[in-house]
Amino acid sequence: MPGKTISGIPVASGIVIGKAIFVNRSHKATLLRQTVAASLVEKEVERLEKAFAETESELAEIRSQVPDELKDYKMLIDTHLLMLKDPQLKGTAAEYIRSLSLNAEWALEKAVSDQEVKFGAVEDPYIRERMQDVRVVSDRVQSKLAGRAVDFKAMQGRFIIMAHDLSPADTVALEVDKIMAFATVQGGKTSHTGIMARTLGIPAVVGVSDLERYVNDGDLVIIDGISGKIIINPGDDVLADYNERAAKFEEYSRKIKRRCQLPAETLDGFRVNVFANIELVEEVAAVLDNGGEGIGLYRTEYAYMNRTALPSEDELTERYSELASIMSPRRVVFRTLDLGADKFISHYGELNEANPAMGLRAIRFCLKHPKLFKTQLRAILRASAHGNVAIMFPMISGIKEIRQAKAWLAQAKAELRREGVAYDPDMSVGIMVELPAAVMVAEFLAQEVDFFSIGTNDLIQYSIGVDRINRHVAYLYQPLHPATLKSIKLVVDAAHQAGIEVSLCGEVASDPFCVPLLMGMGIDSLSLTPQAIPGIKRIIRQTQMRECRALLKQVMQCRTVHRINSLVMDSIFKSYPEELTFFASLLENDEAPA
Amino acid sequence: MNEQNNTKNGEELYSRQVVVANPHGLHARPAGKLAQEALGFKSSISIVLDGQEVDAKSILDILTLAAGEGSILELRAAGEDAEQALNVLEKLFASRFEEE
Repeated sequence: MPGKTISGIPVASGIVIGKAIFVNRSHKATLLRQTVAASLVEKEVERLEKAFAETESELAEIRSQVPDELKDYKMLIDTHLLMLKDPQLKGTAAEYIRSLSLNAEWALEKAVSDQEVKFGAVEDPYIRERMQDVRVVSDRVQSKLAGRAVDFKAMQGRFIIMAHDLSPADTVALEVDKIMAFATVQGGKTSHTGIMARTLGIPAVVGVSDLERYVNDGDLVIIDGISGKIIINPGDDVLADYNERAAKFEEYSRKIKRRCQLPAETLDGFRVNVFANIELVEEVAAVLDNGGEGIGLYRTEYAYMNRTALPSEDELTERYSELASIMSPRRVVFRTLDLGADKFISHYGELNEANPAMGLRAIRFCLKHPKLFKTQLRAILRASAHGNVAIMFPMISGIKEIRQAKAWLAQAKAELRREGVAYDPDMSVGIMVELPAAVMVAEFLAQEVDFFSIGTNDLIQYSIGVDRINRHVAYLYQPLHPATLKSIKLVVDAAHQAGIEVSLCGEVASDPFCVPLLMGMGIDSLSLTPQAIPGIKRIIRQTQMRECRALLKQVMQCRTVHRINSLVMDSIFKSYPEELTFFASLLENDEAPA
Repeated sequence: MNEQNNTKNGEELYSRQVVVANPHGLHARPAGKLAQEALGFKSSISIVLDGQEVDAKSILDILTLAAGEGSILELRAAGEDAEQALNVLEKLFASRFEEE
């Protein structure tokens, strides 16, 4: 289909042109449907059995490495192992191969659909949901049958990665230097793919529902991470046009980068610290290159993902100490594990929670698994001897939780002291304010900690009740909703009243439309993806604090997002027209679907 | 516990009634234990609920039976270790599959 254009949600800006390659299509969409010759039927059954056997030994291997404290996780793998042995799955599939001469893939899919019908008829919603486990298991077998996990090491050149969805674990497995851009079927504005792409400095478009339908491996595609367009096998004139656009965008990016080492100080002399959010030590170069003044959020989840055994205290200490000493004397804020049902465990779904976002995650997960938590606390403390380290607990909902977390920290300190291991006894302790409950009791929480960091991604999600990766409601995810702005202001005021610092580490910190308002509120620091730092610093350097305050005052009186958006846009277009040349097209995506 | 002897494919068919005592019924964990144990026996073993008969060695079958707390099930087994199998499975039900 030459020149076909499809579109999605742009989540990392930039324009690239290159060859597409799928790392995972949903098996349903690409399922091979063939019949096999009668003479080959038994061979096909063997192939099916081999795929089941390989999946079984793979799962058994994973199971053997799960630590005892994750008992539920083990139980779930056991369930999956039983499903692999189940005559209703393997047996029925083999029967279909023999009776209908189907190929193994199709036969298995048919056996799975049979189960879908049976599970669909069950009234009990808990049992109906177990169908997901059947899917997980059969997907594993299907990929064994396909036998073609993309081997990046063997590939020459660079590619545009297409996927049904990219989990954090998937992206860990990718060879970063071979990737030009991402496009996925799933995902919304702040999904993991976007964060990952911005971290790597490559464009990404998510929520492209037609991706699997129109794009094939090897197609030449243009990914426009500014407008969200994907053009498949473009004609010459379109190619020429996009080459020019890509060059212009490059030039703009270079221009803003040139002055990024200058401090973020407004024209009337107010200073804001601009820190970086990172997840890998390797990103430090990008932080320093882009003028980051420290690490405001180090996501510690990576060390726990895409592996079957938990990292040891020594391994974590080494990682953390390396980061602390490279950045020293600049500050590094370690966020403790923000894992839970939606990440890591969910691959097997420890709990298979109906509402993972509201379930056992982040600090809740850690308090429930104290051994795992304390291993991390000790590692962070040990790293604090090597630089300027602070610790921050995610998803705190009230006083009791922060006191519990601090009690574990105190215990870890006492242990290290007894063991004669060095650490910084005055390490700053902060919390992420990302639950509406924490906003409401911010004045009390401020008495318990040294700093706040506002996590706007979750705060907006929980305040407005929007699942940010749900494409149907993503339009409601509004950073400039009056409720969001009031929440942030309340937290900033509570922090300053108590004499502690307040930072903001969500996507909002890299949104040119939000930053002037945050400045007006008196935010002490912003923490954002390294690639966005030059642009945001430039905006701050062109700002007058008194204009920010005036704008904020006006905005805080507004009753609708619409009114706020137009006020902010007018003011911003006036002050920084150049910044917006490339970002204006993003605004179209904020409208509700018709 | 009325054990009636019948025949199935020429083999003695043993059967026994059990009650689901787990508060959430035969959900993933007990269904898994049941299938796991059943797989260890040579005999063919089935579970009957309201006239619906399913394979006790299949976790998927057991799950889709959706037997809630208090359901009365009939266990049927035929084969060389049939009696022994029923004894073991009955104990599982009696101990609520060792759940708290």
